[in-house]
Amino acid sequence: MIRTETSRFGKPMCILYPGDYLATKEECILGTVTGATVSVCLYDSLRRIGGMGHFIVPGMIGTEGIVADQIAAHGVLSMEYLMGEIVKLGGDRKYLKAKLFGAGSTSMRVPQKESVIQSNIKFLKEYFALEKIDVQCEELGGQDRRKIYFFPTTGQAYRRFQRRNEDSSEFLKLEQEYIDTTFRDKVRYGKVYLFE
Amino acid sequence: MKHILVIDDSPTIRISVEYALKKVNIPIRQAENGQDALQKFRDIKAAGDDVALCICDINMPVMDGISFIREFRKIDKFTPVLVLTTESEQDKIKAGKEAGASGWIVKPFQPAELLGVVEKFIR
Repeated sequence: MIRTETSRFGKPMCILYPGDYLATKEECILGTVTGATVSVCLYDSLRRIGGMGHFIVPGMIGTEGIVADQIAAHGVLSMEYLMGEIVKLGGDRKYLKAKLFGAGSTSMRVPQKESVIQSNIKFLKEYFALEKIDVQCEELGGQDRRKIYFFPTTGQAYRRFQRRNEDSSEFLKLEQEYIDTTFRDKVRYGKVYLFE
Repeated sequence: MKHILVIDDSPTIRISVEYALKKVNIPIRQAENGQDALQKFRDIKAAGDDVALCICDINMPVMDGISFIREFRKIDKFTPVLVLTTESEQDKIKAGKEAGASGWIVKPFQPAELLGVVEKFIR
């Protein structure tokens, strides 16, 4: 993630790379470029808190649904990181709204790409239904990469399709590295500490 | 009758934990934050039942996990409380232990491992 103090919007801007997440109460802009990955934008415009997460669910989700699936657990974890930061700022998922972008069938190398992309879309639909979070905008699938600008305190979001690989080309490399790493390390669990 | 109290602001996590523990054969009650959990604990006690174990998140609105454990220990010194959280910093784990937690599991959890730890505590 990088931050610049000036942007064409006249506010600081944070650029999130694949795998990043950020929650804030600051009047700023969160930006990213999604290809096969997804960008989840969450906001509570009353409390002026919002955040963005940029991730991929690394594989296909089984028929039992996301609560019983270890691949989907990676998506749940990515959402938990973002939600945790929002809660630390005083937010509550009950009052959040969401805007979802990405899961494009782009030029990225993804194992079993079409099925994985559909699984990512299925994950988001099922997750937000379970969490009862109002999805205000759902722009998923398609063939193109998307450049996203998100205003976390108001929930405004701007999307532009990127049809040429020369556009934001640094994201192509970073996204491919992120996808490769995430698929390679998809079997991992947290530590257990017992005190008695 | 004994219950397991699962405390997390995420319905997805609460249902995932319930799914992972279906072999335990103890009814699971869900609470969405620390304050809600204290009320559910009192309700269970008032009904003449008991709580075998609490499984609790850390970052929650209204009352967070550490505050819940501190409050819970004022009314119950012995029921084990397992923390299940994305937080893995040592100072937070230490704060949980000092508040009275019995264990700390960092997400993502392996369902079989969670089941094993839970069985150890409720045995």
